[in-house]
Formats: sequence, structure tokens, C-alpha cells
Amino acid sequence: MVVMDEPRTILHVDMDAFFASIEQRDLPELKGKPVLVGGKGPLAVVAAASYEARKFGCRSAQPMAIALRKCPEAVVAKPRMSRYSEVSQQIFCILDDFSPLVEPLSIDEAFVDVTGTERILGSPRQIAQKIRKRIFNETGLTASVGVAPNKFLAKLASDMDKPDGLTIIEREGIPQAIAGLAISRMWGVGPVTEKKLLGMGVKTFGDLQSLPIDELIKQFGSLGAKLHHLSHGDDSRCVTPEQSVKSISQEVTFDEDISDAEKVRDVLLKQVEKVSVRLRKAQLHARTITIKIRYGDFQTITRSMTLNEPSDQTDRLWREAKNLFDKWANSNFKPVRLIGMGVSQPSSPGGLSEQMGLFSKPENERSKRLDATTDAIRNKFGLNAIHRGTS
Amino acid sequence: MKVLCDRAALVDALNVVGSVVPNRTPTPVLRCLKLSTADGLLMLAATDLEVALKMGVEQVEIEQTGEALVPADKITQIVRACDDQTLTLEMEDHTMHIRGADAHFKIFGFDPSEFPPVVDFDDATIDCEIAAGVLQSLIGLTLFAAASEHSRYAINGVLFDRNKRNLRLIATDGRRLAMAKGECLVGEDTTSCIIPSKALKLITKLLDDPEATVRIAVEDNRIRLSVGEGADAAVLSSSLVEGAFPPFEDVIPSDHDKKVTFDTTTLSSAIRRAALLTNEESKGVRLHFENDSLTLSSRAPEMGEATVEVKLDDYQGEPLEIGFNPGFITDALNVVNSEKITMELKAPNKPGVLRTDKDFTYVIMPVNLQ
Repeated sequence: MVVMDEPRTILHVDMDAFFASIEQRDLPELKGKPVLVGGKGPLAVVAAASYEARKFGCRSAQPMAIALRKCPEAVVAKPRMSRYSEVSQQIFCILDDFSPLVEPLSIDEAFVDVTGTERILGSPRQIAQKIRKRIFNETGLTASVGVAPNKFLAKLASDMDKPDGLTIIEREGIPQAIAGLAISRMWGVGPVTEKKLLGMGVKTFGDLQSLPIDELIKQFGSLGAKLHHLSHGDDSRCVTPEQSVKSISQEVTFDEDISDAEKVRDVLLKQVEKVSVRLRKAQLHARTITIKIRYGDFQTITRSMTLNEPSDQTDRLWREAKNLFDKWANSNFKPVRLIGMGVSQPSSPGGLSEQMGLFSKPENERSKRLDATTDAIRNKFGLNAIHRGTS
Repeated sequence: MKVLCDRAALVDALNVVGSVVPNRTPTPVLRCLKLSTADGLLMLAATDLEVALKMGVEQVEIEQTGEALVPADKITQIVRACDDQTLTLEMEDHTMHIRGADAHFKIFGFDPSEFPPVVDFDDATIDCEIAAGVLQSLIGLTLFAAASEHSRYAINGVLFDRNKRNLRLIATDGRRLAMAKGECLVGEDTTSCIIPSKALKLITKLLDDPEATVRIAVEDNRIRLSVGEGADAAVLSSSLVEGAFPPFEDVIPSDHDKKVTFDTTTLSSAIRRAALLTNEESKGVRLHFENDSLTLSSRAPEMGEATVEVKLDDYQGEPLEIGFNPGFITDALNVVNSEKITMELKAPNKPGVLRTDKDFTYVIMPVNLQ
């Protein structure tokens, strides 16, 4: 057995047929029809297949020609990656509200560590339902969620009741619960290892559980120990938020065009707060601040500015974001469909030299103290526990 | 409207007035220049709603008076690209015809009455008058130090601070501060306001004749300047920066105990060379003063190091080691018009001061070197 730390609650959130579902959502005439996302050329591959198309045996990574042979009536949609990543951002923004520990696995799946948030957000089941509901309400898309004490089991769980499902693997009786799963489902088991295991008569997790760990290490080296632990459902890897951060951003799409600039500005302030919290958590200072505004007709504009001294202070970032926004709003305001704010060019603070200021010291110190205090409150009670007011 | 223009004179005027036109605006008329005829001049005007500029071109023959409102970029491109000595501008409804010897351009314009009114100077109450050359020099010595960012203080502009005929311009970005003093030709009482950087940049383009008189009017939240005489005077109007300028007089130190004078070019060369081995992480250059020498050193991790020696003739005070952002020093050395420059220092964590004479003071906060 690996050393058991305090029990954790990990969620694996996996969007259902993500690209295809977005196409079906954006083009209602595709609803209920088999949809294949991908190119049409001779070498094209299916990037995503809707559940209607999967019934015919279509799946992602299949050559498009083969998928179309299986399901000739399928509608082929050209991939719109920028659209998908936009929706993805929206989903990650939602996940960020539930925990600071969100580890993206790809554009449409992520681990979320919600350990210790039960008091504020409810039981793991309630949290998972809340996430699924918010994703559905805000994007019209469904997600399958797996809840388990670790990442490996959470990912297995999310796949058990797809699409639009919720599966919880309880702490008790884990080895029995997963004993029947095929070994190909195990992390780290590719075709070669699978063949070798099958040759040893190992077909399921249960078969693997009954093999002594020494035997596995002899056969597979360090992978052997891993297989042993995983077959018992043990996985101590942590949920680690994005490793190297290039930019941090937030954006919100409104249900309708918002013609009240004040209202949009309030949303922008919340975004600045979230972005600066994430900057501080990653111990980075940002140099460039960008705001993004989209009108109802999808015309999108961005405005950005670069700071002389990189900063992670909410006040500092807000002052510039607000100025960019006000400058735009005072001259060209049009009703807004989407507002977003991001920072880029992050750097580690300090370096070898620190420029002293002529006037700024007391204000800086106050602002840093305020950030530290609000961060502490958010760490304890969640991101939405405290917000700045606009004056 | 029909006007025969000297092309070179028109290009010069278009370059100046065109720089007011906002780069990005959804309001099409703001991307335009307004042309009109008055007293034998062709007047050009542009505004971005914060700054407005109007100036006349003398080298024209007006055959028919009138007005026009046409996209600034197109008329400028055309007039620049032609190589005729003269061009004819003629309006037909809202369309402008530009004719050279072998070319004819038609640009679709707008109704001139849609253009926001551009302020005149006729009704102004004059605050002060100053020689263009003096104003040019004061702006040059300060504008570079103004902030491009926003802070709780209004420092994204230059403070115009006048007491009788004594004028001071002060600019700071919170880390260094430049102050230049000059004398007005006429001025009573006191005036203090903050002029946006964009307006000052534009003003400098109107000051090519140092002998010309600049008349300045300050009212409520606007400043107006008129350069030159009579009808062909260029008039610039700008909103002022709102808010409070920081208490700059408190940060100009007067308690230095170390002082040294440099040849401006010697210091400039030494700083430039030492700055070659600084980077984003270590942007400070270390200045080590001791007896008759100054050692400048810099270090950029994973890149290298630099040391530059400067002989000192008159260093007064204890040895001192202090770090500065080299860019802040060269910024000032680039604009001073003096062979010698004095540096006053106190301690590694206290501001340093550069002075050319009584009229230019430049305060720099040091960099904390580790």
C-alpha cells in the first residue's frame, strides 16, 4: 500500500463529444443528426463524432473516409478551433469558481481537486451536479463527471456513464469495484504492455490485483509497481494547475447584449480580481494587460497596454483595465455580448534589481496587504467569498 | 471649393494635422480632415475629441471658397505620392477631385457640417505669451519623463506651472522626475494645469520658428494655444488631464553630500556601454564612486558582465555605490543641451539629481541592487 494522506476528493470533468456538440449547439439544424467534425480531404481524420454518429461505429481519430463509409448520412463540419477554445475557456472559468486546483488535461477535460470544500459547496455529489448544471446553463453543453479519491479513479469514473453522466467511486471497496475493468483501460498500458499482460493471462484489473507486486516488478520494472498500485485504485498524484503560464485570462459571454456600460465594467472588475488572484497563486507578475470586447454582431475588439513594472496587484491591473475600458466606452460604446480580460508576458517577480518609486511606497504596501488579506479569505471560503465594489 | 495648392507646403501641413486623427475610431468623420478656405488660406483641421488642431496653408490660390470633409489617410497618401509642383483640390458635392499634371483622383467625403466644431482662438482670454523656442525647449526637457500608465496621481501629462513670467514644466512617471524652467514674454498671476502628452507632442510640431509667439489660454478643463500671427496662426485646443499632480517639490532633494560634474558625452557613453549587459531581470547599472574614479558595472544572468571606468576630476564626498536604471539617465542626457552635467547624491536608497544649470533638474530614484 502507498502511504495514504488525508482523503481527497478529485473530480474529472469531461465534455461529451465536445467539438461535435458545439457544432450542434451553434447550428440547431444539426441537432439529433450524426455529425463528424473534421476535414474532407483524402487524409482527413475525424476530430470528433457526435453520439448519433458513434452509434454507427464512428469515433474520433478514425480516417474520415472510413467514418463516412460507416455513416454516409453524417454531416461533416469543418473544425473551428478558435470557437472551441473560446468555449473551453468559458468552461475553465466555471471550474475556477469551484477550486483553485484545476488541472487541464486537454481542451475539453480537466481534474478539479475539491478536497475540503464540502462545507461551502456541499457533498462531492452536490459539487459535481453544480458543475454539470452550470456548464449546461452557461454553454448548453453536457459534461460527464467522475468523482473519486484520486485522479486515476476519477478519470475511470467519468467514462462509466457517458454522456451526461455522473459516477462516484466511493472510498470503500475500491479494488472490488474496479476488478472487472479491462486492463487496456489502465493508465500506462499501451498495446505492447497489454499484449504482454494478456500473454500472462491478465485480462482485468482483478487479475492484476491477484499478482504479487514483486512478480510485476520483475516483469515490468518500475512500471510493474505502478500497475500494482493502479490495479488497486491507488494513485497519489496531485492535481497541479497549469505548469508554465503564458497568459491568464477570463471572459464571459452574456445571454443578451448588455447596453449598460456600468454593468459590463462590474463584470470586468470581477475578471481582473480572478486573474490577479491566479497570478499571485502562480507567483507571477504580468506585464501586458488586454481587454476583449465583442458586440452582438460578433465583431471583436481588443485593447491592451504594457506596464513599466510588471505587477500582480489587483489595484494596479484594475486601474489599467478600467482605463482601457473607459477609454473605449467613452468614445465608442456599443452593447456588449462578451467581455474578457487577460494578462500576458508573465515574469517571476523581483529579479536582481528593484526600482524604487518617488511617491508610490505607501499605496503599494496598502495594496499588497489588501491583496494578501482577500486572497486568504478566498482560500478559506472560495473565490466568490469576497469582491471589490466599484466606486 | 476649388484651390490650387503648393504640394510641398500641403504635405507639411497634412503631416502635422494628420497626426491628430485617431488611429482607431468607429466614427468615420473623426478619421477625416476638414478643409476650408479663409482669408486667402486653406485651413486644415482635425480632432479626436480630446485634442483639436487647426492650421492654415499660405501657399495656395483660392479660386472658389468652400468646405470639405475627406478621409485623412487618403488625401495624405495622394498628396504625398504625387510629384507635381502644384495640385488642384476641387469639391463636387461631398466628393473631392485632386488633379495633377497626369492624374485625377476622386475621394468620397462627408458632409462638412457633420464635423465637430474645432475651437478658434478669437474669443480666448490670454493667460500668457511665450517664445516658441523657449516653449519647445521646456517641452523637450520634460515630456519624455511623463508616465504612459495611470496612477492615483495625474502624471500622464506635464504640469504647466506659471507664476507671473516664470514658467515651470514638470513631468514624472513615479520613478524619475524632470523639471525645466523658462521665462514667458507676458504673464500675470499664477496658472497651474496638466497638459496631456499627446497635445504637447503636437505643439512641438508647430514650434519650428523659435521667434514666433505662442499665446496660451487656460479655461476650465481646456487649454488653447495659438502659434504665429493673424489668420494663419495654428490653433491647438486640448482637454486637460484631470486629477492631482503629486507633491513633486517634496521629492526634489536638497540635502546631497556628494557631488560630481561630468562631460555629458563621457557620462552618456559610459552609461550606454554598461547598459549593454543588463536585461529585464537586472536592469540596474551599479555606479561606484571613489575618490577620482567612477566604476560602472552591470551583470545580466546567463549573459555576461560589463565594467566601465570613468576618471573624475572633482568628486566631492565619501565613496558611494548606487544603482540606477541606465535608461533613465540616458533619457535625460539625450535631451540636455549642455556640455557639462552635475550629479548630486546622498545614499544608495536616496534619489540622485542631475542638473545642467538652474533651469533643468532631473530626479531619479535608484534601483535596489542585490
